[in-house]
Amino acid sequence: MRFIRGFSTTRSTCKSACSLVKPVHHLVKIDKSKLSPRFEELKYAKNDIRSPGFKPVATHQDRVVDHYHNTLQPDLLLINYSHKAQVERGAKKREWDNSSPYHLNRQLRKPKGSAAQLPDIHPIKWHNIPSLESVVINCYAKESKENQLLPITAALQLQQITGCKPQPVYARTDVPSWKVRRGTRMGAKVELKGRPMSQFLSTLTEIVLPRIREYKGISNRSGNRFGGLSFGLTSEDVRFFPEIESNQDLWPKTFGLHVNINTTAQNDVQARTLVSGFAFPFHGPERTK
Amino acid sequence: MSSPWSNNSRKLSQPVLQFVRGKRTKAKGALSPAVQRVITQLSVMSAGRKQPKMLKLSREDLIKHQTIQNCWSMYQRELREKRNEQLRLQYKSTEKAMTLLEQLDPELFEAANASEAGKRFPLELKVPTEFPPDQVWYYNYKPKEEQ
Amino acid sequence: MRLEEAEVFVNGLLQQHKGGSMTFQQVALRGMATASKPRAIKAGLILSRIPIVTQEATTLEKQYYEYQSELERRLMWTFPQYFYFRKGTLSEKRFLAAQRGPVSRQPGVWFPKGVPDVRHNRERRTKQEVTLPKSSESESLSGANNEDDVSRPVVPNSRITDADRENDTTSLERQLSSTLYLIVKNAAGKWAFPSFSVPLDSEAKKPLHITAEAGLRELGGPNINTWTVSNTPAGVLGDAQATEFMIKSHIVSGRFVLQPQKQYDAFAWLTKSEIQQRVEEAYFKELSCILADN
Repeated sequence: MRFIRGFSTTRSTCKSACSLVKPVHHLVKIDKSKLSPRFEELKYAKNDIRSPGFKPVATHQDRVVDHYHNTLQPDLLLINYSHKAQVERGAKKREWDNSSPYHLNRQLRKPKGSAAQLPDIHPIKWHNIPSLESVVINCYAKESKENQLLPITAALQLQQITGCKPQPVYARTDVPSWKVRRGTRMGAKVELKGRPMSQFLSTLTEIVLPRIREYKGISNRSGNRFGGLSFGLTSEDVRFFPEIESNQDLWPKTFGLHVNINTTAQNDVQARTLVSGFAFPFHGPERTK
Repeated sequence: MSSPWSNNSRKLSQPVLQFVRGKRTKAKGALSPAVQRVITQLSVMSAGRKQPKMLKLSREDLIKHQTIQNCWSMYQRELREKRNEQLRLQYKSTEKAMTLLEQLDPELFEAANASEAGKRFPLELKVPTEFPPDQVWYYNYKPKEEQ
Repeated sequence: MRLEEAEVFVNGLLQQHKGGSMTFQQVALRGMATASKPRAIKAGLILSRIPIVTQEATTLEKQYYEYQSELERRLMWTFPQYFYFRKGTLSEKRFLAAQRGPVSRQPGVWFPKGVPDVRHNRERRTKQEVTLPKSSESESLSGANNEDDVSRPVVPNSRITDADRENDTTSLERQLSSTLYLIVKNAAGKWAFPSFSVPLDSEAKKPLHITAEAGLRELGGPNINTWTVSNTPAGVLGDAQATEFMIKSHIVSGRFVLQPQKQYDAFAWLTKSEIQQRVEEAYFKELSCILADN
């Protein structure tokens, strides 16, 4: 092998023009925590029995979901059927019309008649029938700004009502007029999916809501335009939950909460029709937009 | 703090505090009952000292468990496929009916295709329970007389 | 609307000139070159009673749920008795008396089943069994109090009713865990869903679901409370000449009492599999996708 003697050995002359190593580590998402030999148990998925976070999901029949599959789903398919319906495009960002040379490479214009892009409304067929997705319960106790013991009680209340572990809720912004400081713990929230969600909806419709005095139902105006409905329960209504009613002396103070039902419905109207199938009454004039 | 050994001058009209050696009724550094209550509430929600021992499955047990899980997933997939197929057939059936109706009778078709926004399931159509109620079915329905 | 008016006019003409040949203009207006027979539109009714009780679980489901429940109980956190039963209260004493406490670890003792690991009065290696104390006061009382006593033992009603035992197919209380459908037997002995003809003259013409509902009241008496699922038909039988559009509906309360009339002489509330046995094969095949399996 002939060795060519190079007179200059500076780094710039030694360095080749391009890297011969493919930068896979920049393109492929590598979870560095999985590379270490420590904590073998934590590398398993949460539904793997070897993981410490394993929790059995399907422990009993879910009668709410069965009712949905047997009765509501085919009925909703018929109710939402529209002959030869086409996809309705929601408001999308618009192109500039190139009437000015500055339009080149400019970011797209805001949609017409809306600040944000709106999703397309697809006709309801067998694959996109509205169904329940999750229920999020939000408990904000405004007295927590003076008493930091209250958010803990609020969280426990949610845990007792739902059977799931709640997450704390913090004040997002400073509001001097209400003496709220950003970052103070103000309450708790919990997201319910699957069987805990079905159980919660059943207790609501069968036990709690029938006990509320002069309960009219969920407002027909409620809806977040994209398939979510919300309603509230006052601190007196919450006392009707069996977990709290049977231990009245443990609950000198209860907290009101907001219940947000998220569905795969594409608009308010579909969401309300779906939720009414789970024995929720509605009242008031319907809001279609 | 007045004690028999302190040099505080006491007026005779003031009540005399007599200390008797006995059990501590108030523990040192005790928390108020409200705080104690909240501490128990917090402990109910936390896992400390409440988690049982982790499951340590042998190789055979793990294989058995995974087989059961696979079986269940397959069964659920089959059910889901059957349901989706049933729904697809229902949709096709409705579509066929509506195309025929459109050809045959436009008036009836318009009535059939009318929007049903605001449709509500009746409250009496309850979610099925595990056991039937005392009165299984209400027979004595009388329609409201519409004047 | 002009085309529709023309169509009605043409229909009128055709009905007047039954069997006569259609002119070219009439064919063109009509849009299809079919024979000039009058067509009949019928509204069929699929009246169903939804299940009152949860569906029967299959053996696989029962076993799987049992297995998963056992796993859940084994992995469940220790019951926080210090929260529900305050220290020193009578209810706590009663609660502790009703439990079997775990075997605590003692130094120098050999435990044949392994050294116990006890936290918060719970053996960590096994599932925790919490037995609630029986409220003894209610047991001592008898007779009149038992009906209203809140702490009386819960005895669930039977899922199998009298109608199940007698196999009374006209009863709505049969097969509480399945969907029941109303079928009727016509004079010829054929079982099918009830169908009602839609009058085609523009005055008496009503939407399909209204015709179906009105027909049901005529057929079964006025004391039926139903809810029509949709004005959209779920399916169609027959061809362009004799069509039957099926409308779905649920019975909410009331009773179907077959009124004396010429068309039908018997009725039954049957599940999907029972309908398959009674009804003609081709008829069932057309409508089987609309009927719920459970």
